[in-house]
Amino acid sequence: MSQAVPDPVLELLARSLAAWGIAGEVQREGSGGVRLEAAGRTLRVARAAPDLPFRWTVAENGRTRGCMGIPGLLRTVRSGLDPAWRPVRLRIAPLPLVPP
Amino acid sequence: MIPVAVLTGFLGSGKTTLLSRLLRSPQFSRTAVIINELGEVGLDHELVETSEESFVELSTGCLCCTVRSDLVLTLEDLLRRRDAGTVPAFERVAIETSGLADPAPILHALMGDARLAARLGLAGVAATVDAVNGLATLAGRPEAVKQVALADRLVLTKTDLAPAHPALHARLAALNPAARLITASFGAIDPAELFPPAGDGGAGLGADTAARLARNGGHSHGEEVACFALVREAPIRAVALTLLLEALAEHLGAGLLRLKGLVNVAESPDRPAVVHGVQHVFHPPAWLERWPSADRRTRLVLIGFGLRLDWVEALLAALEAEVEEAHADPRPLLPPGPGRR
Repeated sequence: MSQAVPDPVLELLARSLAAWGIAGEVQREGSGGVRLEAAGRTLRVARAAPDLPFRWTVAENGRTRGCMGIPGLLRTVRSGLDPAWRPVRLRIAPLPLVPP
Repeated sequence: MIPVAVLTGFLGSGKTTLLSRLLRSPQFSRTAVIINELGEVGLDHELVETSEESFVELSTGCLCCTVRSDLVLTLEDLLRRRDAGTVPAFERVAIETSGLADPAPILHALMGDARLAARLGLAGVAATVDAVNGLATLAGRPEAVKQVALADRLVLTKTDLAPAHPALHARLAALNPAARLITASFGAIDPAELFPPAGDGGAGLGADTAARLARNGGHSHGEEVACFALVREAPIRAVALTLLLEALAEHLGAGLLRLKGLVNVAESPDRPAVVHGVQHVFHPPAWLERWPSADRRTRLVLIGFGLRLDWVEALLAALEAEVEEAHADPRPLLPPGPGRR
């Protein structure tokens, strides 16, 4: 598995800024990670090391947070760029994989 | 499962007339009716002729503001009385909201109560729109906009007084291109329009809906409400769908007025899942016995404020890529918690 952030995630991050009404830029870095510059802040998104219990990391000013999956990644990025945003505290139970 | 239809529409738009006419139909002879009125003196129930005892008037206030729990209690009581044989064994329930009601909390009440959800299924939401005054009402009353945006079917009333202005048609199409537009003739419509056959589990997502939305282009209108359809040829894995719903609810919150969909779940190719959501509340999916038509595409309709189709498509694409990768990765995609596995 490549250690680069996949293109669909890069695309999602770019479109997320627009959807959230946050002006900024999303660019791939030489390391394969993604740099987000918006709201006067810089966040770096990368794949987490395989031995860590999460898939993504979001780093800012030396502080790194882990995210289990895409929903957590979006939550962390949005919270980082828009401190006033409060996620809806909702958990949806997974669909039964087959009908009962 | 007893179907429940919600009839909404702004004050004076013809809800009671429509319901009264429908109840005269033999097809509606076994219908329990719940009418919510604003004000201390209820009149609507006097105007609706019904011989059934299973007729309840809620006059304690606007359903959407104060009596969500009353609605649940009323429905539970109706079901209890039905089981005990003290009211006729009604086969459907019609709820007429007050003219100023926000239908969303009413749908929450229907979808969010586990005991009700086990016995009652949402058959759809119909909103009446006055052909004479509708355009002005939609321009000035946000309640009316939300009623139209949440509906599966829009019923144009009072067209015997004046034909609906093309601008009204355009406004309705812009607010809710997914809804089927029906014209009432002297306050009457085909009863099947209010309680459609349960072919797609109430999602109202036939090929015509997808086509209308495709013509609409799925763009945001620059108005209060946007509506679009996400259409997928390939099946979606259940865990990707779960994560999609979770992310939509988390980021759109109350801005997501309605989500409804017929989903081709990869793990259940022959039995599609019907999903319903209103704002941040999602109903457990219903599994249809079979596909209602030859069209086996996933069709998710989203209606709400500030929606962007490109973001939802990018979100689903990223989730699907992550789920595919997860097959070779032991790390969980979902955090532990109630209902998690």
